[in-house]
Formats: sequence, C-alpha cells, structure tokens
Amino acid sequence: MTDDYLPCGVPFDEILDQVSDHRPPQDPGHQASCPTCRATFAELGKTWSSIDDLAAHEVRAPTDLLRVVMDRIRELSAQPWYAVLTTRDGDTNISARVIGALARLAAQDVPRVSHALGGGPTGHDHSPTELAGNTGETATDIGVSGTHVVVDLDVVVEMGSHIPHVADQIRAQIHKDITAYTSLTVAEVNVCIVDIDNSD
Amino acid sequence: MQKLPARATRNGPDTPPRSRPAPATTVLVRSARDGNEHAFEELVRSHQDRSYLIALRLTGNSHDAQDAVQEAFLKAWRGLAGFREDADFGTWLTRIVINCCHGQRRTQRPAEPLDETTPDSTTPAADVIVENQHRDRAAQRAIAELSFDQRSAFVLHIFAGHTHTEVGRILGISEGAAKVRTHRARRAIAVVLQTWEEES
Repeated sequence: MTDDYLPCGVPFDEILDQVSDHRPPQDPGHQASCPTCRATFAELGKTWSSIDDLAAHEVRAPTDLLRVVMDRIRELSAQPWYAVLTTRDGDTNISARVIGALARLAAQDVPRVSHALGGGPTGHDHSPTELAGNTGETATDIGVSGTHVVVDLDVVVEMGSHIPHVADQIRAQIHKDITAYTSLTVAEVNVCIVDIDNSD
Repeated sequence: MQKLPARATRNGPDTPPRSRPAPATTVLVRSARDGNEHAFEELVRSHQDRSYLIALRLTGNSHDAQDAVQEAFLKAWRGLAGFREDADFGTWLTRIVINCCHGQRRTQRPAEPLDETTPDSTTPAADVIVENQHRDRAAQRAIAELSFDQRSAFVLHIFAGHTHTEVGRILGISEGAAKVRTHRARRAIAVVLQTWEEES
C-alpha cells in the first residue's frame, strides 16, 4: 500500500487524494479501464470511511461552555485594577499600583530624570512592598486589561536635557523592566514632562 | 447515519441561529474591544462550535478540548486590543485555539470511553454500533499519532473544511507547506487504518 506508484504507473497518492477529498479521478478514462486503480480506490474507500464517518459526526460545543467563558470574562471585567496572568495552575493578579511603582522606578533609573511622579513613594530607599503597599494611592495612571498594560507617567527632568531623547529612554526602560519583572505586555507608555529641575 | 461530504461545512460555523441574526462580526469585534461583554458573548456563541470541533479533533478528548476552547476565548478577549480590524476574526481565533491545544499538558488521558449504554452485542444492530465505535476510535487514534503540525493541517482541512490557502493562513505557513502537511498526514493515517483493519 505504501508503494509510491501502482503497477499501472498511477501515483498511489493520486488515488488517496481522490478518496479523501471526494474528488473525481484525474484520468477518468484510465481509472474506468484499470482494474488496479479501481481495486485501490475501493480498498482506500473502505479504509478512509472511518475518517469520513468521524467527519460526519455533528460536534457541538458543551452546553455550559458559553456560560463558563462569559462568567470568567465578567469576573475579569470586574477587576480592572489588576493585570491577570493565567496559567493552567491558576491566575496571578498584579495590582496596577505595583505596575505603577515599577514604571516610576524604571523612569528614575534613566539619566537626567529628577522625579517620576505619583502618589506613592518611589525613592530607591523604599522596598517594593512599601512602594505598592499603600491603599488608595493615586500613583501614576496605569491601564490594565488582561496581560496588556498602558502607562501614563508624569516626570520632571533636569535642566538642559534633550526632552524627546529622555522620553524615549524612559519608554525603553519601562518596557524592559515591566516585561522582565511581570511578563506583562506594555502596549503604550505616554510620558508627560511636567517640570524642569534646575536645582543643580 | 447520513454521511456528509468530508469537506462540507457541518456545524454552521460563524453562522448565528437563524431566529436571531447576529450583527456583522466586525461590528461585534469593535464593540467587544470597547469592553462590550454582550458583543463578545455573540462572538463566542457564533464561534464556539467550530472552535470546539477543531479542539476536539486536535486533542482527542472532550475535557482537553473544552479547556483549550475556554482558554482561547479568554485569550481572545484579552487580546482584542491588539486585534487588527483588517484581519479575519475567525482566522485569528482559530490560531489561538490551535495554540491553546498545543499548550495543553500532555497528560495521557484515555480515549473517550465507549458509550455506557453499549447494547447487548448479540443483536445484529448492536454489532454494527460496536463496530462503528471501534472504527471511530481507530480513526481518532490514527489522528492522535500524527505530529502536531500535521494534525493541525489535517484537522483544519478535513474536519473544519478549510482550503489549503486558508490552512496556510491560519498556521502561518505557505499554501504549499499546508498541502504537504495535509498530504503526509493523510498518508500516515491511511497506513495506520489499513494496519488496524488487517489486525482486526
């Protein structure tokens, strides 16, 4: 059966394709007069009928699938302040405040950035727990949906900085840190330069 | 059982119930992306049968299929922000379903059990039923033995009725590569089924 060609010279695969795709023979005249082709066609037709039978089964989604999916989606929609990483072993919810703190710390790592603003402490002397621990913190604006994050950040830069260049560096640093620390996807980072620091 | 042509559309995929015509998919997608859960519910309703069929044939069992489809819809909901409107929602969703099936844990679940109401095998009708069940299981096992790449192409073409061009688009491969994968899958399945027939 696995020979490439039948004794009459017709490729075996040609008959197999004919049977499985329910196509007419490529050379109807030959097949009508060739007992080998007709025998192979009959044999493969019988063999392939189990696939045809399986394909003919009417498959419907389980009746509760729609409900289960929509319940989960409503649950997600009710938690707009968390990004959610779903695995087969459970979900990991990451608070928007945590993401905001990471974004501000990332921005402050960029040279010539004096301050990344938000309601909570962002200095390098604070632990991550302290940074994200204050409830009611207004912080940097963070939009989360599932695994996607949008960051809106206010920053103060040092006098003499090339602002667009600093903004690009901030975006790159935030992308890098949030991806590295959370595995979330940063969809957008909008930087607003709100002041110039000329204290030096 | 009335056989349907193997390439026919069997479950009315993407076709809403006749009594309640759904708005165009594009409108639903746009609305769902804006956070409209009802719009997304319509999308789930109209794509769930097709998605489940593909998942069932790819995973070989209803439990994994349901898990994969649920996961796929959740991913789709979360990923709607990044969905391009000029893309086809069905193609995009099918790709997610396939990825979810691929990511399924490779637990060795037993094949679907025979119907517990298997009739007394002494009656002729019972013989036919039992024989059909064995043939279905043989076909499912033959499909399960394929590599995932071949199985995906085969399932999309034979069970979901996609053309090779569509299979290529969904899997991110060329039409030629889709044809080759489907063809190799067909050949492998034919060999397995014939061996099964000879042994039984």
